[in-house]
Amino acid sequence: MKIKFGLISSDSHGQLGKDAYTARMSAQKWGDRIPHVIEVNEEKFSHPVERWVVNGEIQGGNVCNCPTAMKERGYYPQRWEEVPREVYDPAQRLIALDRDRVDAEVLFPNGPGGTFFYDDPAFELDCVRAYNDAMAEYRRVSDRFIPLAAIPYMSPIETIVAEVERAVKAGHLGINMLADPSVAVKGLKNIGDPFWHQLWSTCQELGVGVHLHASAGLAGKLSLPQWKGYSRRQSHCVSTLRNFCTATQIVPYLVFSGMLEKFPKLNWVFAETGLGWVSSVLEACEHEWEKNRLWTEGIKARPSELFRRQIYVDFWFETVGIEMRDFIGIDRILWESDFPHITSTYPNSWDAVEHSLQGVSPADREKVLFRNAARLYRLDLN
Amino acid sequence: MEIRYGVISADDHVCEHSEVWTKRLSKQKWGDRVPHVEAQAGGAQIWKIDGKPVSEPDTGFVDTTPAVYNAGERLKAMDKDGIDYSVLYPTISGMSGEWFGRLDDIDFETACVQAYNDWLIEEWAKVSPRFVPQCIVPLWPMDRTVAEIRRAVKTGHKGVIYPASPMELKSVPHINEPDYDPLWSVCQELNVPLCFHSGASPKIQMRPDENFSPATARAFSGIVRSVSSIAVLANFLFSKVLYRFPNLKVVFAESSLGWAAYEMEYADYQSAADGLGQEGYSLKPSELFQRQCYFTCWYDCESLRVRRYVGSGNILWSTNFPLETSTWPETRKHLERALAGMPENERRQIQWENAAKLYSL
Repeated sequence: MKIKFGLISSDSHGQLGKDAYTARMSAQKWGDRIPHVIEVNEEKFSHPVERWVVNGEIQGGNVCNCPTAMKERGYYPQRWEEVPREVYDPAQRLIALDRDRVDAEVLFPNGPGGTFFYDDPAFELDCVRAYNDAMAEYRRVSDRFIPLAAIPYMSPIETIVAEVERAVKAGHLGINMLADPSVAVKGLKNIGDPFWHQLWSTCQELGVGVHLHASAGLAGKLSLPQWKGYSRRQSHCVSTLRNFCTATQIVPYLVFSGMLEKFPKLNWVFAETGLGWVSSVLEACEHEWEKNRLWTEGIKARPSELFRRQIYVDFWFETVGIEMRDFIGIDRILWESDFPHITSTYPNSWDAVEHSLQGVSPADREKVLFRNAARLYRLDLN
Repeated sequence: MEIRYGVISADDHVCEHSEVWTKRLSKQKWGDRVPHVEAQAGGAQIWKIDGKPVSEPDTGFVDTTPAVYNAGERLKAMDKDGIDYSVLYPTISGMSGEWFGRLDDIDFETACVQAYNDWLIEEWAKVSPRFVPQCIVPLWPMDRTVAEIRRAVKTGHKGVIYPASPMELKSVPHINEPDYDPLWSVCQELNVPLCFHSGASPKIQMRPDENFSPATARAFSGIVRSVSSIAVLANFLFSKVLYRFPNLKVVFAESSLGWAAYEMEYADYQSAADGLGQEGYSLKPSELFQRQCYFTCWYDCESLRVRRYVGSGNILWSTNFPLETSTWPETRKHLERALAGMPENERRQIQWENAAKLYSL
């Protein structure tokens, strides 16, 4: 792909069309359980609204999480016809990218996608395959889209690995994972368990990174019980704000569990976590590593060296982490727009970029704005 | 007050020795429930509270090094490290006194809490004004909590320690509920800071794997303990407690700094994106924090470069003695490295002035 604007979003959310699953899954086999959009009546609304429904469970709040793509910014569409095509139609979405002067974007899911935990591994596997196939379509439309594969957590490891290999062949350039599957579903293995080793070595061989997005399913467990007295907006603010607590605990875990040393070429990408916390986590890791002489306990490399070798972190609005970019490692920093979610910088992403990158040298700007992403996803810029 | 070294440690721990409770609680009344040390088969000694073993990490001390439980020896350790004053948190009672908060019998809970508070005055505060005692309190009901705060402050306590997530210790209302207003109110009235120490809520910290070596597990636990305050702060900033009690001072102890600078900037950005200005938040979260809250740090160095996001007036230095993670006896060296190049007035604020003001020394 050609770089025209000099900006790659390493965290955006790709919506699938409302027929994405029904067109790809067997109606005979799964019937109404297939993810699809239905009309429902909700007390809050005088007219019928539409919602995604998966395995009979209605996904609440809206029919598409795209409040910054709406004419009235902040409005969550309640019926599918309100959802702009720029959110779910790849060809149309390129127009939104051009408007925001963004060259390419990494696509995380925009519900339903990512996980399909309905106590049925066969159903999960078919949903994941449909999701991965549908997202791969984005890349067939344009190499400006960088899709990430979902994985069938409840399947045997051989099936998981096979699905990742299939998805990568179809165009996916990374996998999106929960920080700790064992927290999401009883019986699944935690991220440090040898169960996953085959997946890590496959990703390492294929050269695709493991992506953990925001809370990555773990922040709720690492937080106080949410207060019922919060309004919807307050609750969203509090839970979003604390999401980066996952990354601050998983990074030390990756370091001290020896996983980074065991799979030394595997990249771990922390999306929508910001950067500013990295300094304290790395300083803490180094402080403890030195005090406890952990090189004598099998953690041979300095934590900061491991971090700068294998971990990437995303930012979008901030200045604090940019001020500490040399300590974090300028080669480890990625920019993101988070389109079309509520905190997205769209359609004024360059204003946010200029706000964050004051005083950063041209060479370093290029690194965080697109060159690091191009290296991570092995994009050919010529 | 007298400042010789120019450093106040705002987060240290006393280690309760084996007679703190056995000397103060009636054996006749409470029997074996009284917190005491018991020898195990094989010679190991463990603490038992209410007949149950205390098994939290970092509470394994049983009368080991005198400096951890003896005030006179502690003063020597402070002199060695160049520390003028030391703000005290418990160990065996839990980092935030949470062990007693779990007890069902509130009379027994109150007796244990009072014994700790009395011991801290009798064996520490009375030995030297360089110790800054902070009381632990009965968790619930609030009239008990408030009564103990009034009693303890009268005996000399200068701060109040409370677990950040009491609802995880027993069936009590969420910390954001107005039911806790008497707690905030009495701290504000008596002008004593309310302190949340990280680690009081083990559930919000990832556990080290079973195959981590003991040293690696301790290192990992130390790190996740400090960052576990991320979620505590996110909630507290939006709970409106600080709006209802504009003169209340709150300390997030053993927090460290870098993530906090990020959380300040993020909180301002996210609350604006979510439109919270329309929901009665007249100040930016960072402004609210700077008006009333404090972080403590100890190894931080790089993170101090972004201190303006937190506010130099809101940062307290600490040594974390005697925890595994402490900078003792090399705190001077750490300070030199961390504060190099910082303007003298900010350096003074962080090293001791903020703490002296906060605790009215």
